[in-house]
Amino acid sequence: MIRALCFLAALGLTACSAEKAPQSVSAEPSFVPLKAPLGQIVAMRRLTEAQYRNSIADIFGPDIRVAGRFEPIVRPVHELIATGAASSTISPAGLEQFDAMARAIAAQIFDADHRAQFMACAPRDVAAPDPDCAARVLVPVGRYLFRRPMTQEEVAAYVMMAGKATASSGDFHKGLELALAAMLVSPHFLYVVESAEADPESPGDLRLDNLARASRLSFLLWNTTPNETLLKAAEQGQLTDPSQLAAIAGRMVRSPRLEDGVRAFFADMLLFEKFDEMAKDQIVYPRFNPDVASALSEQMLRMIVDQLVTQKGDYRDLFTTRRTFINRALGPLYQAKVTSTQGWVPYEFAPGDDRAGLLGQAGFLALYAHSGRSSPTLRGRAIRELLLCQPVPNPPGNVNFTAVQDVTSTAMPTAKMRLTAHNSDPVCAACHRITDPLGLPLEKFDGIGAFRRQENGAPIDTAGLFEGVAFQGNIGLGKALAASTSTTECVAGRAFQYATGRVPEDDGALAGGIEQDFAKDGYRIASLFLRVATMPQAYRIAAPPLAAPEIAMTTSKGVHP
Amino acid sequence: MLSHKIAALCAAALFVPIVPAQTATLPAPPANGEMGFVFAHFAPAIHQGDQDCPDGPVATLRDNYLQTQASAERLRLLEKPNEAELTKRWTGYAFGPQGTNICTHPDKFDRPSQRIVQGKVAQGLDLDGGADAEGCDHDPFTSPTGQAGVDNQMWRAMGCVRTWRGVDGTGGDIVRGLTQFLISGEHTQVLLLTGVDSLSDDPDVTVIYANSEDRAVVDAKQNFMPDASYTVVANAQHRNVLKGRIVGGVLMTDPAHIRLRQSWGQGSERDIRGKRTEYDMTKARLRLTFQPDGSLKGLVGGYQPIWNIMASASIGGEGAATTAGYDCAAMYAALKKLADGDRDPATGQCRRISSAMEVLAVPAFVNDTLPATRVAQQ
Repeated sequence: MIRALCFLAALGLTACSAEKAPQSVSAEPSFVPLKAPLGQIVAMRRLTEAQYRNSIADIFGPDIRVAGRFEPIVRPVHELIATGAASSTISPAGLEQFDAMARAIAAQIFDADHRAQFMACAPRDVAAPDPDCAARVLVPVGRYLFRRPMTQEEVAAYVMMAGKATASSGDFHKGLELALAAMLVSPHFLYVVESAEADPESPGDLRLDNLARASRLSFLLWNTTPNETLLKAAEQGQLTDPSQLAAIAGRMVRSPRLEDGVRAFFADMLLFEKFDEMAKDQIVYPRFNPDVASALSEQMLRMIVDQLVTQKGDYRDLFTTRRTFINRALGPLYQAKVTSTQGWVPYEFAPGDDRAGLLGQAGFLALYAHSGRSSPTLRGRAIRELLLCQPVPNPPGNVNFTAVQDVTSTAMPTAKMRLTAHNSDPVCAACHRITDPLGLPLEKFDGIGAFRRQENGAPIDTAGLFEGVAFQGNIGLGKALAASTSTTECVAGRAFQYATGRVPEDDGALAGGIEQDFAKDGYRIASLFLRVATMPQAYRIAAPPLAAPEIAMTTSKGVHP
Repeated sequence: MLSHKIAALCAAALFVPIVPAQTATLPAPPANGEMGFVFAHFAPAIHQGDQDCPDGPVATLRDNYLQTQASAERLRLLEKPNEAELTKRWTGYAFGPQGTNICTHPDKFDRPSQRIVQGKVAQGLDLDGGADAEGCDHDPFTSPTGQAGVDNQMWRAMGCVRTWRGVDGTGGDIVRGLTQFLISGEHTQVLLLTGVDSLSDDPDVTVIYANSEDRAVVDAKQNFMPDASYTVVANAQHRNVLKGRIVGGVLMTDPAHIRLRQSWGQGSERDIRGKRTEYDMTKARLRLTFQPDGSLKGLVGGYQPIWNIMASASIGGEGAATTAGYDCAAMYAALKKLADGDRDPATGQCRRISSAMEVLAVPAFVNDTLPATRVAQQ
């Protein structure tokens, strides 16, 4: 984190002389700089690409283009990107990208087509600095970007930056543009800064303060920056009041925007960033074209949202539902008639169709396969790790893969036969016993998730085994997963981890408690998110506060906290 | 049903299979009797007979210009230092008075016919049953399998054009170009068969032969993917409903007027892109053989307006003449001379020409649209 801040400092954002915040700024809440010092910073979580884009769209409008590449947040092994975001730095190259995006965004916002909606005042002279007007424009924008009122020092610094840029460019709007670009590369925008206050319920301990709770709620439930209502509620201290917090969170989970939060959560939980790097051998799978590739993840998310948000369905039924969505690109892969020329249409698999459930979707099947062949092991491992939260050890470095890679073998025409041969080595067999019984039931789907009756002309055995129960095919696998408490415990724990950036095992019996509540609520995802968003434990601070960040941009007189 | 069977037998006698039906290996039709297809190939049926073009392929506009010059002058123009002069003169040969050019206005130029096919064999269907009271005299071909009476004067007129004929068993650029139009969605054509009880023999099948606005779904090698979905255009003009039958694994349709859209490009007016034309085939028939892999192969035959045969060159205008080197007036003269359908009672000149298109259609899901209700308006 400190590294990231240093990089920001190294960018050399204009160092300016101290200048007082304009005195004439209105007393409206959104114009009032923060007089109280910032709370103790207990965590800084980097915005994901989606959160950055959503924030810009919500603050400035969906017509503002965000063009550029985002440096990825590294996912800790067996954890979420949300967890990795709490320890993510930004490299110099990554910051250059953020800076370029910031400048492009700021240029759009203060261009002739857009500026009117953000200008609370007109400058006295459009070619000269006007600190009062600059503050009236920048203070409300800064409140949305930083998810809290700006401090007086921050206001002074950005106003002065705008003034200097106006003086050198002879254009008031250019000055605002530069100041806004600087705000967009501030760590207070690029990171969700979680600040804490003393917890009156537990003397000596800390809890997230109101403004940090507003960000927590908004990014957890809607995957975007807090809106005016939420910021006002935070400024009025409502979010540390359990009943008011519950009422506000309840309204948020009932909003259609919960879909965005659920999408982001499952994209994180199911490692959807892997779709960006998925490649298939065009010789083996000529049907796998870019249109198919881009549709796979969207199909899974639509199925998830439909089952869990639109239908308000039971999470367990996600593994057996016959409802999904399809578009023209996916039609040939599913050998299904698509009734609409454009976009997505609901599609229901026939009763008994082995496609039912999340694991029968081509996206999952293709993502957890090799480029030129299916992989019961990768699929089984993904089920264990992602859906059951049961980490599987990596294979040792000296494994002989000859048998499993011989996909055209006439002696061992099916993956099951090849894996059986491979597992004659007891070192290999130990892990394959964990993974393969969950992956082999999906073998009637090839490496891009297309249905096949045979492999190399031989019938495919889709027998599987999970928690002592034998079953056949994807339908049997889906039912077995739906019946297991490991499945529901996993998603419940992931939800807590996603919300807090903490692994629930840190909190002892907390994970079990979340799962029990999840069960009481009929395994409804909205209820799970509501519980995670309102449980006091999620706002308690276990870790010691971080050192106050130092940012070299505020004034030339010194570095301000 | 007896009348159906008699009609089927009569129709069968008119046609000769190009691709032998393998009825024993054909799958059973779907339970609902509905089968959809999308055309992956639709281009002039090519047959490269050894004796077709004994004098060589059709001459270019440059060659034809040189032939108008005396021998000594021709030799002088062909000398390298005189290349610029020759280019200026032969490209000038593409233009007439009042801004006319040889491809946009080929009928305004009096030029000899281009070389035509001399061979006796070509692909096609017997469109007139040996005699058509509304047609003109012509010299029919024999099919590659020996069936006489094949009406495909389009091939006779155009079969020596390099970009049609191709070499070594592969059709010319027109085949690749028309395939690309299918892939791009500009000419998307679909078939929807209903009432299919058997792929071997079924006396009564309804065939909807239509355009779709949908772009083709192709794989990484630009091959049409089977089982993609297409929706029939709402414009009833380009939704042709045909009566057909299946005999020995071969689908045949009764003669009908078939109209299909051709969009050349996506709307730009810079060149031929954005133009809208039609396949307009009278007395047209489909003769398609079911393949073991589920596809259909065969021919679509019918009489097309002679202008439509050279639509691409004509739309191309002076560029087709001076860049591609087409002598469109010579092309027009050949088509006019060989036209064998739709005789103008006043002049005796036929305005349409018999033609055969070779087609391949792969299985697809086809969403039909009911024709829009037409409301009479004043």
